[in-house]
Amino acid sequence: MTASQTRTASPRRKTWASGAWKTKLAPYLFLLPNMAIFATFTIYPAINGFNMSLYSSSNGRTFKWEGLGNYQKILTDQEFWGVARNTVIYTVSFVVLATVFALLIATLVNAQGRGKTFFRAVFFVPVLVSPVAVGLIWNWILERQNGLLNTALGGIGLGPVPWLVNPAWAMVAIIMVGVWMQTGFYMLILLAGLQSIDPVLFEAAKMDGASAWRQFRSITLPMLSPSMAVVVILATIHGFQSFDFIWTLTGGGPVGATTLMVQYIYENGFESPIRYGIATAGGVLLFIAVFILTMINWAVSRRQEAV
Amino acid sequence: MVVLITGALIAIIPLVWMFLGSFKSPTELAQRPPTFLPESWALTNYTEALGRFNFVQYLTNSVLVTVGATVLTLAINSMAAYALAKYNFRGRTALFLITLATIMIPLQVILIPVYQVVASLGLVNTLWGMIIPAAATPTGVFLLRQYMLTIPDELIEAARVDGSGEFRTFWQIILPLSAPALAVVAIFSIMWRWSDFLWPLVVAQSEAVYTLPVALARFNAELTVPFNLILAMGVVSTIPVLILFLIFQKQIATGIANTGIK
Repeated sequence: MTASQTRTASPRRKTWASGAWKTKLAPYLFLLPNMAIFATFTIYPAINGFNMSLYSSSNGRTFKWEGLGNYQKILTDQEFWGVARNTVIYTVSFVVLATVFALLIATLVNAQGRGKTFFRAVFFVPVLVSPVAVGLIWNWILERQNGLLNTALGGIGLGPVPWLVNPAWAMVAIIMVGVWMQTGFYMLILLAGLQSIDPVLFEAAKMDGASAWRQFRSITLPMLSPSMAVVVILATIHGFQSFDFIWTLTGGGPVGATTLMVQYIYENGFESPIRYGIATAGGVLLFIAVFILTMINWAVSRRQEAV
Repeated sequence: MVVLITGALIAIIPLVWMFLGSFKSPTELAQRPPTFLPESWALTNYTEALGRFNFVQYLTNSVLVTVGATVLTLAINSMAAYALAKYNFRGRTALFLITLATIMIPLQVILIPVYQVVASLGLVNTLWGMIIPAAATPTGVFLLRQYMLTIPDELIEAARVDGSGEFRTFWQIILPLSAPALAVVAIFSIMWRWSDFLWPLVVAQSEAVYTLPVALARFNAELTVPFNLILAMGVVSTIPVLILFLIFQKQIATGIANTGIK
């Protein structure tokens, strides 16, 4: 691609010698607005984040040099390890459950004839609701005494489950709601992957007498692995970033049992006592965690493709 | 089939429940066991929410931020995409790779440093402070660039021969041809900006600049605000994206399939 474009570029320059400087300058001008915003609001802050994590501040104006002090403080802070544990538990459960359900639903929806579009829409609808509203609705549904879910469970003789009151159940609740909210998104990606598999493969397998399960394992899963890799990577990133629906669902409680990393960053950065250094250092650690995991995911999915 | 229908019900019931609840009075909401259909379909909660808060203000703010950010995103992303797709210049590969790499840096991990920048530019507590920082989306540039690569170079050459300026070629030939990709980027931008929460929460410090999600969360935290009003607000904040989705379902499905953008 590059070679052919270089070839077309040189005669153009000769023919349009008078306007050549315009053609040369134009791409930079086209890129300028986007790159300026990018540089100001993403690249500079990303670099400055490392720098800021070496200082401490309680007001965002005066900064004091700490060196690696913030990291030392965080890594010896019990609250941080609690938050890190919550984030890992949440993300791992979220990724596994959301991927499994998305795969299950996508396979079932794909097998539908005329109902395909309808079911696809229904399963996608939760993705559209603003996460803040999702938290509110589920906070109400999971209410211990009179909530919809406990009323329904009571109907079949179960519960009442202390969803948002008990630390362990609260973790179950945010995983459940997170999966409910996001599965439709991953389902769409997998559905597109399923639809791109050549139906001839299945026909051939059927003729050879392969069972439905055998077809799923030997054709669907391997052919779907690129889409699966995308889903697992996205779900990992989304899981680590979760904040908004948890904020209105549990507020991170009870007693910090559902406080995840982003909330930890937000609270240290914007709620008193403000600890800017801790918040930025937390951001750097979160970035490193997401980065390493994404790289591992890539490497694993690459290797699978090679096999 | 049974599994599929059960799943569909699980996906949809909480939302139906919110919708039904938004018509119920506080006493009806507190009833045990809960009633299924509301006693009346009166719009009392909606009108009361309208009168009690600057509801119209939040709605306007949400619309301004969503529309403003989307227009800005489309403008700057498409120009950048055009440069990366159709020009040969020094640094092209590097700039494209940098753009892609920033997908790895979500706002959440650079929350404080971005806030510092926004604060030093005096944009805290303004709608611009919510609009500008997220406008240069890497996924938008990527998607538009991939699409523009499929537009034949001959069209651009022909326009140059006809004496069309560089920007005019972009504006009158490239943009109209990129309409499908622009639509996908626009739909996603609207969907995500509309329900954005963390960044508006950080930027909007006074009520005058609250967006709907920020107002919802703030009022929900104040226990004095009755829940029936919160539900009405929740429904109003959900309906616009729902309508958008129903209209553009096909584009959204292909858009996600192609890029997995969010």
